[in-house]
Amino acid sequence: MDKRVLYSGAGAVALLCVATAAMTAGYGTNLVCWIAIAVLTAASLRFVMLIGELNFATAAFVGLGAYGAGVATTVMDWPFLLCLLFGGMVAVVVGLVFGYVTLRTKGPYFLLIGFAFTEVVRLIYTKVHWLGGNSGMVGIFPPRYLDAWLPTFVVAVVGVLLLALYAIEKSHFGKTCIAIRDNDAVVQSVGINVHMTKVACLCVAAFAAGIAGGLSAYVNNVISPGDFGFLLSTFALAYLKVGGEDNPLGPVAGAVLLVLLASVAMGMGAGEHVFYGMAIVLSVLLMPKGITGLIQRGWEMRRKRSAA
Amino acid sequence: MTGRTDPILRTDKIGRRYGGLVAVADLDMEIRPGEILGLIGPNGAGKSTTFNLISGFVKPSQGRLFMDGVDVTGEAPHRMCRRGMVRTFQHGSLMPSMTVRENILIGAIGALRGKVRSQRAARAEHAAHALGLTHCLDEISGNLPHGLQRLVSIAIAYAAQPRILCLDEPLTGLNQTELANVLDVLRHIRDESGCAILLVEHNMKAVMQICERIIVLHHGQMLASGAPLDIRTNEQVIAAYLGKRHAQ
Amino acid sequence: MQTLLQLILTGLQIGSVYMLFSLGLTLIFGVMKIVNFAHGQFFTLSAMLVAVLVPWLLMQGLPLSAAFGLAVLGGIAASVVLGMLLYQFAFRFFQRDLAGSFILSVGLVLLFEGAFLHYFGGAVRSVPPIIDGTVSIFGTAVTLQRLILCLVAFGFTFALYWVLTRTRLGKAMRAVAIDHEAAMLQGIPYKRIAFHAFAMATFLGAVAGAIMAPISTVTPTVGADYLVKGFIAVIIGGLGSVPGAIVGSLFIAFIESFGGYYVDPSSANMAIFVLVMLILLLRPKGLMGNG
Repeated sequence: MDKRVLYSGAGAVALLCVATAAMTAGYGTNLVCWIAIAVLTAASLRFVMLIGELNFATAAFVGLGAYGAGVATTVMDWPFLLCLLFGGMVAVVVGLVFGYVTLRTKGPYFLLIGFAFTEVVRLIYTKVHWLGGNSGMVGIFPPRYLDAWLPTFVVAVVGVLLLALYAIEKSHFGKTCIAIRDNDAVVQSVGINVHMTKVACLCVAAFAAGIAGGLSAYVNNVISPGDFGFLLSTFALAYLKVGGEDNPLGPVAGAVLLVLLASVAMGMGAGEHVFYGMAIVLSVLLMPKGITGLIQRGWEMRRKRSAA
Repeated sequence: MTGRTDPILRTDKIGRRYGGLVAVADLDMEIRPGEILGLIGPNGAGKSTTFNLISGFVKPSQGRLFMDGVDVTGEAPHRMCRRGMVRTFQHGSLMPSMTVRENILIGAIGALRGKVRSQRAARAEHAAHALGLTHCLDEISGNLPHGLQRLVSIAIAYAAQPRILCLDEPLTGLNQTELANVLDVLRHIRDESGCAILLVEHNMKAVMQICERIIVLHHGQMLASGAPLDIRTNEQVIAAYLGKRHAQ
Repeated sequence: MQTLLQLILTGLQIGSVYMLFSLGLTLIFGVMKIVNFAHGQFFTLSAMLVAVLVPWLLMQGLPLSAAFGLAVLGGIAASVVLGMLLYQFAFRFFQRDLAGSFILSVGLVLLFEGAFLHYFGGAVRSVPPIIDGTVSIFGTAVTLQRLILCLVAFGFTFALYWVLTRTRLGKAMRAVAIDHEAAMLQGIPYKRIAFHAFAMATFLGAVAGAIMAPISTVTPTVGADYLVKGFIAVIIGGLGSVPGAIVGSLFIAFIESFGGYYVDPSSANMAIFVLVMLILLLRPKGLMGNG
C-alpha cells in the first residue's frame, strides 16, 4: 500500500517537473517556485507535529539554510549543490543543539521558546556585518546552466523531499514519533529514548526547512533578516491549517491556495496580512481539518452512500 | 554465573520522600525469575511509588536498586526497560489514536531497536496472538471497550520482551469473564516466555488466585511477604487489610 | 548614583506596563489554558483610539483632562467589547486546546494588524501630555505624568491580586486554574468564570494601552511589541502564576532598562530572549509556574 503511494507520488512529481519546464519564464515560474518553497516550509512544520509540538523555530531553520547557502555561494564560492546542502546541514546542526536543549519542554513552553529562538537568530543576523547586517545578503545566484531550469529544479527538490518526509512518516521511526505524541510515558516504558527520538524528528524537519531556505535564497537572489522572523512561521502555520495538518498533502493544498490567493489579493491592495489572518481564522473556526479534511470527509460520505 | 534462583531485581533499603511525606521507606524486596508476584496494600501504602521506583520513573531518595547484581539506581526508564523491566500504567497505557497493531508494534520497536522491520512485525504479531487480540488488530485502540484496551496495554509491554512485566492495576474495571481471561493470559505469558510478573492490584481474590508470592505494604514499609496462604493467615495482615472474610 | 536611580525608575515604569500585559496573559492561560497571541490587539486598539480621540475631542473644544478621560473610557470600552466578541464567537470553543487557540490568535493578530494599518494608517501618533511638570524622587527628575501612570499600573496590579485572593470570583478562578474538573464538580460555574477571566484580562490590556498612549508613540503594531515581552515575562514567571507574571515583568524591564543604557537596546533584547531559553531549560515550568 505504501509502495503504491510512493510510486504514484514520484510520478506526480515527475509530471509537475515536466509541466514546470514547459512554462515560459516569468511571473508564473516565480510563483511556482514560491509555492514550492512554501509547501516545503509547511511540510517541515507539519513533520514536527508528529511528535505533537508546534515548532515556531521553523522560520529560524529556514533562515539558517538561506544564510548558509548564501555564505557558501558568495563568500566561499562552493559548487551549487554543495552550497544548498551546506545550508541544510547548518540548519540540522543548529537544530540538533536547539532540540537537545529545548525538547525537554512541551506545549506552550516549547512554542514560546521556538518563538524566542527565531527572534534571537534574526537579531544576530542584523548584528553580524559579514552577513550583511540589517540590509542582508545580495548576489546569491544559481549557476548559469541552471538559469532556465531553476523552477524545475526547485519543484524536483521539493517533490523529492516531500516524498522522503512521507516515507519517514510511515516508517517505524514515524510511528514512534506519533506514539510519543499520544503517550510518551508508554513509549519510554518500552525502552525507546523518547528525548533523542524527538530531537531526531526536529533535525529531519530542520533539514527540510534549511533546504527550503537555501532554495528561496537562490530564487530571490537577496535575503535579509526580516524575511526569517516569526511571521514566516506564522505563514507556514496558515498553509498548514488551511490545507489540513493531518494529511501529508495538507501543506501542498494550503500553500498552493494561499500563495495563489495572496498574489491576487495583493493586486487589490488589501495587504497580505489581513488576507492570511482571515484565512487562518476562518479555517480554524469553520474547517478545523483543513481542505484535505473536507475532501476526505466528502469521500467518506460518498462511500457510505454508495454502500447503503 | 547467576543461579536460577538469583533475583532479577533487588532493592536495598530503597525509599522515597516527598517533602515531609514518606511514601516508601527502607524497602527490601526482590523479584525472582519466572515468578508471579503480587504487591498489595491499602491506598497510600506506597504501591505506586514502589512501582515507579523499581521501573525507574521516580528516583529514590535513599537506598539502591539492583538488576542482575548491577547497581541501576537512578537509571532512566528507557534504560531500565532495555534491561528487561517493562511496566504498564494505571490509566491510559496505550496510544488511543493508533490501531491495535501499531500500538503493539511500538513495544516491538522498543525491544528490537536496530533490527529488521520484519522481525519487529513478527514480534508484534506474536504478542498480539498471546493476548488474544488477532481479531481486532486494525481497530483504533481508543475506540475499543475497556477490557480490550487493557489487553492491548499488556500486549504492548509483552512485545517489548520483558524479563519482568510490571502491571499497574490491570484488572480494574473488568467483568468476571474478562478478569478470568486476563489471569489466563498472564499465566500463559509467563509459561511461554519465562518472564516474571509483578502485579499491583486491589482485587484480593484475583491476587490470591494467580500470585505465587505476595508482598504487603503498609505506610511505605513491608508488612509481610510470602505465599498467598501465609498472607491470608498472617494475623497482622488480616487485622489491618484483608478483613476476616478473605482469611477464610 | 543618579543614573542608577534613573535606570531603576525607568525599569519600574516599563515594568508596570509589561505587568498589566502579562497579568492578562497569565490569567487567560490559567483559567482557560489557552495561549492568546492576540492579547496585544486590545492594547493597540485602546491606545489607538486614545491617540485618535484626544486630538479630535480637543478640536471640539473640550478641555484636555475631559478629552483624555473620555478618550480613555472610549478606548477601554471598545477594547472590552472586542474582547467579548472574540470570546463569544471564537475563543470560547478552544479552551484547553493549546495549538488551536494559539493558531486562532495568530490569525487574529494578522487580521487586526492589517485592519489597524488600514483604518488608522501606519503613521506614528502621539498624544499631547496630559499632566505637565516633573517631580524629583531621590534627586532624579521624573515626569509627573509617567509617575502617575506607573502608579495607576501598580494600582491595578494590586487590585487584581486582591480580587484573586479575597473575592469569591477570584478564588473560583484559582480553583479552575488548578483543576477545572474538580472545580466544576464543586459547582463552580465554569463558563461564567472563564468569561470573567477573559473580560478582566481584556480590561487590563485595554487599560495598559490607554495609559501608555500619552507617554509613548502609538503605531498599529505597538501591541505586538509589548505582547512579546509580556509573553516572555509570563514564561519566566510561569504560565498561570500571578506573582510569577509580576516578577517576570519587572525582571525583563530591568534588563531592558540597564541593558539598553549600558550596551544597546537590541542587544538587551537578545539577552532577554537568551535568558528566557535558559530559564525554560533549567525550570521548564518557569520560576513559579504550575501550568
